[in-house]
Amino acid sequence: MSTSTAAGRRTVEPFTVISVICVTVFGLLCLIPFWMIIAGSFTDESKLSVSGYSLFPDPFSLEAYRTIFTGPAVLSAYRASIFITVVGTALSLAATSGISWVIARRLPYISRPLAIFTYIPMLFTGGLVPMYLLVTQYLNLQNSLFAVILPLLVAPFLVFIQVSFFRQLPEEILESARVDGASELRIFFQIGLPLSKPILAVIALFYAVTYWNEWFHALLFISDTEKYPLQLLLQNLISSVTNAATLPQSTAQAAPVYQLRLALTAVTIGPILLAYPFAQRYFVKGLTLGATKG
Amino acid sequence: MSANLSRRGFLAAGGGLSLAAVLGLSGCGDSNSDSSSGDGAKDLKLLLPGAVPDGWAAVLEAVNKKLQADLGFSITPQFINWNNYGSQALLKFTAGEKFETALQARWLNMAQLVGSGSLVDVGPLVTGGKYPNLQKTLNDKLIELNKWSGKLWGIPQVNSAGRIHHFAIRQDLAEKYGITEITDYPTLEKFWYDVKQRDPRVTPIALSQNQSNLTCVPGPVAMFNAASWENANRIAQSFSGGSMPFFLAENAKETGSSDPVPFWELDGVVDALRTIRKYYQDGIINRDALNVDAATTKGLFTNGQTASAWATTDGLSSTTLLPGLQKAVKGAQLANVVPLKGGKSAKPNQTFQADNFTVLNAKGASNERAMQLEDWLSIKENHDLISYGVEGKDWKPVGADKFEQLSTYAFPGFALCWRTSLERRSALMTESEADWFSWAQDYDNFTVDTFASFIPDVNPVKREEAQISQAFTQYGNPLFFGAVDVDAGLDKLKKAVSSAGLDKLQTELAKQADEYLKTVK
Amino acid sequence: MRANSLVMESGSEPGTDDAVPPQRPADPPRTPAKRPRRRPPLGLVLLALPAIAFFVVFSYAPMAGLVVAFKDFSISDGVFGSPWSGLDNFRYFFSTGDAPRILANTLFLNTLFLGATLLTGITLAVMLNEIRVKLFKRAIQSVIFFPYFVSPIVISIILQVLLAGVGGSGGAANDLLHVFNLPQVEWYTQPGPWPWILTVVKIWQLGGYLSIIFLAAITAIPEEVYEAGMIDGASRTQMAFRITVPLLRPTAAVLLVLGIGRIFYGDFGTIYAIVGDNGTLFPTTDVIDTYVFRSLRQLGDFGSTAAVGLFQSVVGFVLVVLAVLVQRRYAKESSIL
Repeated sequence: MSTSTAAGRRTVEPFTVISVICVTVFGLLCLIPFWMIIAGSFTDESKLSVSGYSLFPDPFSLEAYRTIFTGPAVLSAYRASIFITVVGTALSLAATSGISWVIARRLPYISRPLAIFTYIPMLFTGGLVPMYLLVTQYLNLQNSLFAVILPLLVAPFLVFIQVSFFRQLPEEILESARVDGASELRIFFQIGLPLSKPILAVIALFYAVTYWNEWFHALLFISDTEKYPLQLLLQNLISSVTNAATLPQSTAQAAPVYQLRLALTAVTIGPILLAYPFAQRYFVKGLTLGATKG
Repeated sequence: MSANLSRRGFLAAGGGLSLAAVLGLSGCGDSNSDSSSGDGAKDLKLLLPGAVPDGWAAVLEAVNKKLQADLGFSITPQFINWNNYGSQALLKFTAGEKFETALQARWLNMAQLVGSGSLVDVGPLVTGGKYPNLQKTLNDKLIELNKWSGKLWGIPQVNSAGRIHHFAIRQDLAEKYGITEITDYPTLEKFWYDVKQRDPRVTPIALSQNQSNLTCVPGPVAMFNAASWENANRIAQSFSGGSMPFFLAENAKETGSSDPVPFWELDGVVDALRTIRKYYQDGIINRDALNVDAATTKGLFTNGQTASAWATTDGLSSTTLLPGLQKAVKGAQLANVVPLKGGKSAKPNQTFQADNFTVLNAKGASNERAMQLEDWLSIKENHDLISYGVEGKDWKPVGADKFEQLSTYAFPGFALCWRTSLERRSALMTESEADWFSWAQDYDNFTVDTFASFIPDVNPVKREEAQISQAFTQYGNPLFFGAVDVDAGLDKLKKAVSSAGLDKLQTELAKQADEYLKTVK
Repeated sequence: MRANSLVMESGSEPGTDDAVPPQRPADPPRTPAKRPRRRPPLGLVLLALPAIAFFVVFSYAPMAGLVVAFKDFSISDGVFGSPWSGLDNFRYFFSTGDAPRILANTLFLNTLFLGATLLTGITLAVMLNEIRVKLFKRAIQSVIFFPYFVSPIVISIILQVLLAGVGGSGGAANDLLHVFNLPQVEWYTQPGPWPWILTVVKIWQLGGYLSIIFLAAITAIPEEVYEAGMIDGASRTQMAFRITVPLLRPTAAVLLVLGIGRIFYGDFGTIYAIVGDNGTLFPTTDVIDTYVFRSLRQLGDFGSTAAVGLFQSVVGFVLVVLAVLVQRRYAKESSIL
């Protein structure tokens, strides 16, 4: 085993070379715009408006970040966003894993109807007004952060991704546990979930991203500015800056438009980039094993 | 999830239209509504557009303290960002919420709301003598001409009598080329070509995607329509914004027949199209007008990349443009250029239609309180407080009717408390703008258009209108920005609109306009 | 353990299920009798309850609103008060001369997007699997996920820098063409290349995102399979194509079927941010969602909008049913419904 691995490592195959090249090129295509955005967000508006972009933050300027971070609401906005992301992701992950597991088990008369039941909302939506009335008049959730979390609780798309992963778990392990007398619930919690860490990490990551980026439901249901999540605050900011040119306002915001757009992207991505390595651990570890030992 | 997100993106961006599926729950909305309507009258909810102004908490506290003492109630405005204002306001109306006032306009959903009986007719309230402060600040002509079929569906929010689109130009550049003052269109054109020649890195004028209807179809002037600057007496009519403009007969009042014709049949329009095409090819205007937004073109101007910017006679171009411009370009000067033939005695046509209205929600808890609020805001002291913020902290008075901005407080006054006679001018306002602004505030400097308060009802031709505005976006906008050949482009546009139902639209407009003529006689 | 499970295939039931009450209600006798399931799976159904409740409240209840597609809607009357209008709302979209072109664009663009992004996702995942320098791999993975966060507006700005430059004349692409002495292209008035430009944008946006899903799927492939391959003397290339790719098929199939269901929805956010109201590009870029958005934004005609939406949903549903039938026939394992 170890010799074969060593041999595999010595002889570099063309496919590996091609892979490294392709992945690097794709990575660069992602990295360059990323750099343009970061560098641009620190570049003075006067240069951005001439060339539209900037590869080096020169002349250096913090104007856009100052505009973003001087507002009094930023701190509370971070608090709201973190609450929505953490609580939302936890609830979503629980609810999604639960239903996915049941669908994945292929129980007669249960799994397939449940799959169809889950799929239909992906295509048919009642629209905005029913949702609005539901949340404001029947559930009375105005100005509650749960009004932002609950409508996004389960994404059918992720349910199906998880189902397909659960179905790839080796049936023998589950079966043997059943034989050992474990209850279905125990099998799920003590065997199914621990074996599924990679997909749980992916699903959690995707939910976290959704919740972090969420502003539309906040716009609908939250009027208390203390509870605005960060993204809504940023949406409002960019909206007032981009519209300042066409609107009669007694004083117009003299904020740097180009720079601000780039800085907003940077601010949005920041925390997710911090969270990413945590999730990445799970699916990279599995991978490394698969690749080097194999 | 990507699929989900894009779907939601559609809903979000779809704005008004994304109220796609309106549930029956709205039927139950009323019976279910809150029992706190008594409190509702003690604390008025207002819908305002834009972001929460900097330093708003302090201003709101001062406003509410005074309001509570004077009238015994307070206000809680909700600010909704601009990109979403239209759809959110409509959503709240549809859901039967009990807010008191909102900003509405023809370019938002005012016609729909009027049609469905969601608004209060404020005509009798405004003129009834019950709200003297408000009445004093509203000109009779303004009230009269903003009535739709005899009813006033909101308090018109204006800070001038008439609004003429024009240009703010770099006066320092003009002087560099030896042009001291631009008063007519040929000189303006010469200025642009001078810019092109002498400062090739500066674009003479940049247009943005939302300005397609300002370039050649007069209303009563159009930016590049020389004939309209010669004789500003025709105003286009259309069923909705951004769609097919028609011109109604000049002598309609005498003949009683409106006889609408498509915009391209008006003298000067096709010439203007050719002019624009030439500008596009010569690099006088930017080539990406179809894709850039107004914020970008404004940014270009304030950074010295362009030599002219769009302006209108609302007295705000100096404040919006000058500080940024002077920061980026040392020694830059701004001048407002209105190249009307005859200058300030040109008497261009106007409909005096307000761009914005403060409307009263028919389902609001107390329409009377809302009117009291509007009246209260018509008192100079109160008006200044909410419009400019806390005196000494946010602004300080300069002379009797000017102010200097001290903070970044910015209130959307046009959604609640614009009163022509109460508005203070910014101390930054250039002399040329102040001149034109004063001119624009006097109703006698304009001619009342024959069809001034004619608001066509789109309902009978809704489907045709939707399809024509479609054709207009596809074939009209490129034409209006000079991006396509005039003859071929106009031909395509004509074909597309006629197959979308131009005849039917034209007939319907004629019918409604003739009907209107009978009422004005 | 493995031996156990093989022997105990049909499972006797020594233990008791905590969450399950003693009676055994739901197990119908008609169940294919190969693996009789003695225990009623109520405990499992409990797991699904939160999600079921969510769908009932937040998805199915609001669906009553779909009736507005058949109504002549007015704000004050509400849905039930508004008069019925039969299929009138559907006539709006289908009576336009543009309908065939727009339907064709929608199908073509979405097929292109779906195929291209899936392929990219799989390829990236398989290729990343080949990279053995851990730090490099991690770095690349983080970087390719990033485009997913870039808002359509910023993408649109970057594209303008590349294709048009400030003021609309020039741009990096034209500078490049200039280097090779090729004629300049006015990208923003030429509809021809846009399906491909948009496809590149979609690949850029979603390639990394989808590759994460496939990476997670690769972790589920047991070590032994690779070991066996190694012993058989398979090269890495062979293992990638004969082991990894086939085992990614179920996941790809799920994504494909989900994508087919939404094939009549345009990617409104991205397309509208990039193309906007630029009519010169409509011949190749106009899709149902952008068309409907534009023509109704002024009039706010809810009924017609809902009608178009319902049409999109129903067609999507039919397509999915077909796709699932095909899938059941040829690849039963990966069937999702």
